[in-house]
Amino acid sequence: MSIYQMGKNVVLALVVAGLAACASKQTETDTSASSNAGTDTTTTQPIQQGPSAEELARLADIEARKARVIYFEFDDANIKPEYRDLLAAHGAFLAKNPGLTVTVEGHCDERGTPEYNVGLGERRSNAIKQVLQSYGVQASQIKTVSYGEEKPANPGHDEAAWAQNRRGVLSYEG
Amino acid sequence: MKMRFLKWLSVLVWSAATLSPAHAALEIVITEGMDDARPVAIVPFQWNGTTVAPPQDMAEIIARDLERSGRFRPMAVGDMPERPFVAGQVNLAAWRNKGIEAVVVGKMMETAPGQFQIGFELIDVFKGRDKSATAMGSSAVIEARQHLVPSAGVRMHAHKMADIIYEKLTGERGAFATHIAYVNIDRSDRLPYKLFVADSDDYNPRVIASSTEPLMSPAWAKDGRRLAYVSFEKGRSQLFVQDIYTGQRQVVAAFPGHNGAPAWSPDGSKLAMSLSHEGNPEIYVYEVASRQSRRITTTGIGIIDTDPTWSPDGQYIAFTSDRGGKPQVYRVHLASGQTQRMTFEGDYNSEPEYSPDGKKLVMINRTAGQFRVGIQDLASGSLQVLTDTQLDQSPSLAPNGSMVIYATLHRGQQVLAVVSTDGRFKARLQARKGEVRAPAWSPFLD
Repeated sequence: MSIYQMGKNVVLALVVAGLAACASKQTETDTSASSNAGTDTTTTQPIQQGPSAEELARLADIEARKARVIYFEFDDANIKPEYRDLLAAHGAFLAKNPGLTVTVEGHCDERGTPEYNVGLGERRSNAIKQVLQSYGVQASQIKTVSYGEEKPANPGHDEAAWAQNRRGVLSYEG
Repeated sequence: MKMRFLKWLSVLVWSAATLSPAHAALEIVITEGMDDARPVAIVPFQWNGTTVAPPQDMAEIIARDLERSGRFRPMAVGDMPERPFVAGQVNLAAWRNKGIEAVVVGKMMETAPGQFQIGFELIDVFKGRDKSATAMGSSAVIEARQHLVPSAGVRMHAHKMADIIYEKLTGERGAFATHIAYVNIDRSDRLPYKLFVADSDDYNPRVIASSTEPLMSPAWAKDGRRLAYVSFEKGRSQLFVQDIYTGQRQVVAAFPGHNGAPAWSPDGSKLAMSLSHEGNPEIYVYEVASRQSRRITTTGIGIIDTDPTWSPDGQYIAFTSDRGGKPQVYRVHLASGQTQRMTFEGDYNSEPEYSPDGKKLVMINRTAGQFRVGIQDLASGSLQVLTDTQLDQSPSLAPNGSMVIYATLHRGQQVLAVVSTDGRFKARLQARKGEVRAPAWSPFLD
């Protein structure tokens, strides 16, 4: 998992570095052009600069962090590979902002019994917490709460509803 | 081990007394009756008062109670050969010819504004010594009672009469004059989660707590007035104990992690619960008077121990644990700590409750993917699946051990249902708006 994740991050980092290089070259050209223009018979005006590398990375990060729900298999608290990028984005963001806290909710579908399902939901929220901690997030930044089957995202009673209800939710409110 | 629990909050929440009771009770649909239910007749009571009709139809309430037990088949009023009010007017032969085993007659009189004198006589039709065609019921009365009742207590009084009649005819104490608690979820409401207390026939439902956040796991103390439950109102679980008559409530557990699955000890002095603040859900026993608690299970990381329930003698706690991989029921001997597994049939057994005689265990059993109410004989270990409904949950026994109320899925909606502990009688409580879950049957109320 970590090697896979590292690979992904390296690729991302290279893309971002490349963009940054292009952007800075462009800036140099612009600067020399305007300085060559010389005297007060000529006026110069800056044009709107394209988004910086930092800005692009920030936007990408915000976009990644818009997704705050991950889904689980029935009776299972393992985090599926497709949610690793999502958790990596949140993990990096929280690690960079140690003043922020996040609440990780664990939820289940309605099959089984309510109190046992709270236990299952707790396993799910704890699994997410561990992944976040692996990115350097402090334990004190993460609150976990399991609602078991008591707070379904979809109040229906079929397979489609159950799939939406077996979930973990990251919440920055409060 | 000593532990710090939160102090009294003394928050006056929603006093039951200030709430006007919602009417429109749930209709009860009998889905499977007993062939050998005993034919009885509850004759409409004589009414003598300032209004045209009595405030409550005593005979109707008693008849529906007896019918809902599965043990009796009350005769329709239109089929009755006569409508006497006193035993002396009952023609035994007329009822014998209809195959009726027992007749109840009675009177209700308004003695003062808001006060009623209510009396009944129970007649054993076949036990009358005089078998002649003209023999009257006065010779065959096996129970007679008369009481003064204020108007607010009239309906509960009818249930008490039904209890007396049931006990006289079956030898088992009746459980009609009891309450049920449950959670109703109406997502169109500003406060969708409501904890209700209603009579055992679901009349007179009263909200005792409302919240934007989930409420779960109500559990009655043996005094029938304190209800423990879980509330997520603070964005995390907390365990409360609320007096249903004063509305006063107390936080008894608000640790990090889950605070859930309350269960009162038989003597009412302790509350067992499942807490996860030490890493994973484990069973604890909290002593109400001293506010001290003791950890009972030490299963360890990754395991879920929950749903504690006391044996009637208070010596054991049975609970759900997935220490063996799948959830099964175990019991721990509190004095020695010795623990043994109790359930072996099916790949999921959860939410155990001992029968009042301690000889059986009711639980949710999953066999072949179906979650159903099961009952296990503890001596033989044999399990009987009682229901054929879908996604059953939260079984709760009537205090006489005769019936189980539980939550189930019916036509895409969670509703309450009852089943007799022999599995032969089944009924469904027609849901009101929204979903109904987490039923808990109160103890005897006197």
